[in-house]
Amino acid sequence: MSTQTVLFELGTEELPAGEYEGMANALANGMASGLEQQGLAIGEVTVFATARRLAVLIEDVQARADDTEQEVLGPPVAAAKADDGNWTPAAMGFAKKQGMSADELQIISTEKGDRLGVRKVAAGALCADILRAVVAQAVENIPVSKRMRWGRERHEFLRPVQWLVLLYGSEVIDVSLFGMTSDRVSRGHRFHGQSSVTIANADAYEATLKEQFVIASVNERKALIKAQVEGLVSKDERVVIDDNLLGEVTGLVEWPVALRGSFDESFLTVPRQALISSMREHQKYFHIERPDGELVPSFITISNIQSKHPEAVVYGNEKVIRPRLADAAFFFDTDKETTLASKALRLESVLFQRDLGTLAEKQTRISEVAQKLSQYLGADKSTVKAAGCLIKADLVSDMVGEFPELQGIAGRHYALHDGASEAVANAIEQHYWPKFSGDQLPHSPESAALALADRLDTLIGIFGIGQVPTGSKDPFALRRASLAVIRILLAFAPTANLEMILTTAKQSFPSGVLDEGVVDTVKAYLLDRLPAHYEEQGVSVDILRSVTAVGTETIGDIDCRSLAVASFAGSDAANALAAANKRVANILTKVDETLPAINELLLTETAELALRAALADSQASLDVAVAHNDYPQALSNLAKLREPVDAFFDNVLVNADDASVRLNRLALLQELRGQFLKVADLAVLAR
Amino acid sequence: MSSLTFQELILELQSFWGENGCVILQPLDLEVGAGTFHPATFLKALGPENWNSAYVQPSRRPQDGRYGENPNRLQHYYQFQVVMKPSPADFQERYLDSLRRLGLDPLEHDVRFVEDNWESPTLGAWGLGWEVWLNGMEVSQFTYFQQAGGLECLPVTGEITYGIERLAMYLQDVDSVYDLVWSETPTGTIKYGDVFHQNEVEMSTFNFQQADVDHLFGYFEFCEKEAERLVSLELPLPAYEFVMKASHTFNLLDARHAISVTERQRYILRVRTLARLAAQGYVASRAKLGFPLADKDLAEAVLKALAEESAA
Repeated sequence: MSTQTVLFELGTEELPAGEYEGMANALANGMASGLEQQGLAIGEVTVFATARRLAVLIEDVQARADDTEQEVLGPPVAAAKADDGNWTPAAMGFAKKQGMSADELQIISTEKGDRLGVRKVAAGALCADILRAVVAQAVENIPVSKRMRWGRERHEFLRPVQWLVLLYGSEVIDVSLFGMTSDRVSRGHRFHGQSSVTIANADAYEATLKEQFVIASVNERKALIKAQVEGLVSKDERVVIDDNLLGEVTGLVEWPVALRGSFDESFLTVPRQALISSMREHQKYFHIERPDGELVPSFITISNIQSKHPEAVVYGNEKVIRPRLADAAFFFDTDKETTLASKALRLESVLFQRDLGTLAEKQTRISEVAQKLSQYLGADKSTVKAAGCLIKADLVSDMVGEFPELQGIAGRHYALHDGASEAVANAIEQHYWPKFSGDQLPHSPESAALALADRLDTLIGIFGIGQVPTGSKDPFALRRASLAVIRILLAFAPTANLEMILTTAKQSFPSGVLDEGVVDTVKAYLLDRLPAHYEEQGVSVDILRSVTAVGTETIGDIDCRSLAVASFAGSDAANALAAANKRVANILTKVDETLPAINELLLTETAELALRAALADSQASLDVAVAHNDYPQALSNLAKLREPVDAFFDNVLVNADDASVRLNRLALLQELRGQFLKVADLAVLAR
Repeated sequence: MSSLTFQELILELQSFWGENGCVILQPLDLEVGAGTFHPATFLKALGPENWNSAYVQPSRRPQDGRYGENPNRLQHYYQFQVVMKPSPADFQERYLDSLRRLGLDPLEHDVRFVEDNWESPTLGAWGLGWEVWLNGMEVSQFTYFQQAGGLECLPVTGEITYGIERLAMYLQDVDSVYDLVWSETPTGTIKYGDVFHQNEVEMSTFNFQQADVDHLFGYFEFCEKEAERLVSLELPLPAYEFVMKASHTFNLLDARHAISVTERQRYILRVRTLARLAAQGYVASRAKLGFPLADKDLAEAVLKALAEESAA
C-alpha cells in the first residue's frame, strides 16, 4: 500500500520558552497514537518546535486504513426456515436489510449457536479523513498552562494562532481549527524569512524552513548555540552553560547567533552571584569564568538575527547590562553604609509568619537554640552567638531586596566589611546550606549549628501552628528543611538525641503558641523523610522501617543500623532470619501470658538445647558489638543463629501440651527475638 | 541618521498609529500609575464595543522616585499607549512597523517577544503577552487583555505600552534620561533634564517626606465612599475617576511607608472592589445606550445575555 509523509504545523505568535517544547511533544504523541488507533500504520515521528511553530512530521503513513471484515448476525438458523422448507419472514427480513436474497446468507457459528449472517468487508477510512479528526483531537489535547483569547472570537490557546499547514505528501488536507483552514503556507523567520512560504511537500518541510532562516529542530538549535557559545571563549576561559538557561534561550530564537559583549572590570568587586544573576536571570546571558573560577567581565547573548551590524546588537546589550550592574554596585555600596547590626534591628518590622512573629524574633530563637545545641555539634558557642544576631540581617538590605538569591552571600560580605571574623561571616552565609537537595553542607560546626536551628525553628513553628504540608503545597519548604536536618545531624551531631533537639527548639517559642504535641509530630515527619534521604544509597523503605521500629533516639544510630541491615539484607541468611523473625513475632503476639525466665531444666529436645546454647553464645558478643555501634558485626553474629533457629522450628513443637514447657519455649523465642531487636526488626523484611 | 528628539518620537508614534486607524487622544488629566488606567484603555476594554486608540500618558509611581539622582528611575515618566479592540491578527507586525518608523531596523537590531504576563491587582485585570526586547532591553509591553474589573474581555483588547524614555535613550544613545534631547529650539537645545529634573527632585521629596499621611488616609476613605456613591447613582465615569484617585492615594501612602505589609493587601483589595463596581456600572451604562460602537451581532448577543441575566 502506498504511504506518504504527514506534516502538521501550527503557527503561533511567540510561545513561552518554558512550554513550547512540551507542547510539541504532546502534539506529536497525540497525532501518532490517534493515527494508530484509527488503524493507520505509521513510520518515524519527528517533532519540530520553535516559539512560533509546533510541527510534527510522520513518515510512511498509509493512504488508507486496512479493510476490515465485519460479521452481521441475523436470526438463529433454527428460526430461519419454516417447516415447509421456505425461509421464514425473519430470515427474509434480515436478508432484505442487508440488500441480498436469503439464499446468499451464510451460516455463522457463534457461542450461542449457529446464526444466519453475512460477512462484509468494510473499506478502511482514508488517511485524509482520519487526519482531520486526529489533528483536531491532538491539538485539543495539547497541555496549555494558561489559555487566552484574542481578536473577537472565543478560540483559546497559549498565544494567538496564526496559520495551519497540513499536508499528506504534497496534498493539502483541509482542517479547520481556531477559525482558520489549513493550507501549505508557512512563514519564515520573522525578519530574515518571507512572510509566506510554500511547503511543496511534507518531506521538504525542514529544508524549506532552513532556507527561510528557521532551524525547526530544538536539538539542532541547542547544539548550534552550545557550539557557538563555546567558540566565543578563549582557551584560558570557561563559559558556564546552565542547562535551564540553554533550554530557555533555545526557545527564544529561530536562527541563533551568539555574540559576546563585555562590561566594566570595576563591577567585579560586586559579589559574583549578583553579577551572575543580573546576567542570567534578567538578560539570559551566559557568563564566563577563568580556570580559578573568577568571573571574566564578559557575557554571551544569543540573538535571533544575523545582524547587518552585530556590533550594534552587542553595543545595545552592553548598554542594558551596565545600569543593571550599576544598580547592583550601588546597592552593595549603600548597604555597606550601615552596619549589619543596624539592619538586624529592622527585622523587627518584617513578618516571618503571623502567629510566629517577626524575623527578629525568629533570629533570636535561632541564635538561642543554636547556642544550646553547640556542644553537640562541637561548635564554638561565642562564634555562634556573634553570628546568631546577624544571620537574617541582610534580608532587609537593598541587595537582597533586588537579588533574593543573594541572601547569606550579601550578609557575609557586609559582616566582613563591619570587621567580623571570617568564622562569623562564613556562618552567616552557610547557615542557608544546603540550599537544595544534594547541595553542600555547611563547612564549620558553627554554621551547621545555625543552619540546624534555622530549619528546626521553621519545622517546629509551622507544624506547631498546624500548617502541615500537603501533597503539593509546601510553602515553607518543610520537606527540604527536614532533609537538611537529617544531613546536618548525620554530619555534625550523629549521637545527639532527636527528641532533646526538637524539644530545645520548641522551648524557644513563647508558651501557648505551639501545639503541645509538636515534638512528636515533627519527629514522625522527620523519620518519614528518611526514605527520601536514603533513596540513592539503596536503603529501602522496609529496611528503614525495620530499623526505626526498634529505636529512633539518634540519627546516627538509625544511620548505622540502616546501612548495616541494607548490606545484610538480600543474603540467604537474611531472608531466612527475616522469615524466622516474622514467625516468632506472630507467635509472640498471640501470647497473653507473662513469660517466665527461661528454665534450663525444662529444655529437653536437642534442637531447643542447641538454640539455647547458640543464644547464650551470641549474647555476649552481640552486646559488645551493639555497644560499639558495630551493627555489621552484630548482624554477622546473629546470622550464626540461622541453623539452630531453623532446626528448632523443624524439630520442636512450641505449643507443647505441658503448659510450663510451652511457656518456656516461648520464653526462649522471646530471648531470640530480643537479640534481633537490638539491631532491627527483621520481621518487617520478610516476604 | 540623526536620531529623533523626544518630542519627535512621540509625534512619529502618534502619526503612525493614527494612520493605523487609532483615535489619537490626549493624556488623562489625573494622576495614574500607568496608561492602562486611562478610561480609554480600562473602560473601553469592557463590553462588546470596538475601540482603537493611541495616546501618551504621564505615569506617576511615587515609589520609583530617586530625587533626580538615578539616570534610569523616575517617579513621573511617559508611556505611549496603543489599544486595538478587537486585537488585529497582524498586531505584532504593526508594532514592528512602528519600530521601523522610528528608525529601528529589525535586521540590524535584535527584536524579541519574551513571555511576560501582565496583571494589575488593583484593577482586577490580567492579560497574556510579552515584553519586547530590543537588543536585550525591554522597550515595550504587549498584552492581550483577558479580564478587566473582574469582567471577561471579549472582543479582546490588544495593548501595546511603549516605555518612550527608554526607547529614546536607546535611539539617542544617552545613558541618562536627563540627557535626552527633548527638542531643538531657537534658544538652544532643551533636554529632558531641563524639563523635568527639578520636578523629580521636588516630587521625590514630597512623595517620600512631605505627603500628609493623615490627610491621605482620610482622602482614601473619601474617594472610596464617593466611588461607591457615584456608582449607585449610575454615574460610572465620575465613579471611576475616584477609583483612580484612590489608587494614586494608596501609592502615595505606600511611598510614605505608611501601610504595613498585611494592610497593603487589604488596600489593594479595596481599590479592586471599587474598580469592579465602576466596571460593572460602565458596562450597564453602555448597554443602556445599546453598545453603539459594537458590531451589531455582538451587541445583540451581549444585550440578550444581559437581559436574561437580569430576568433570572
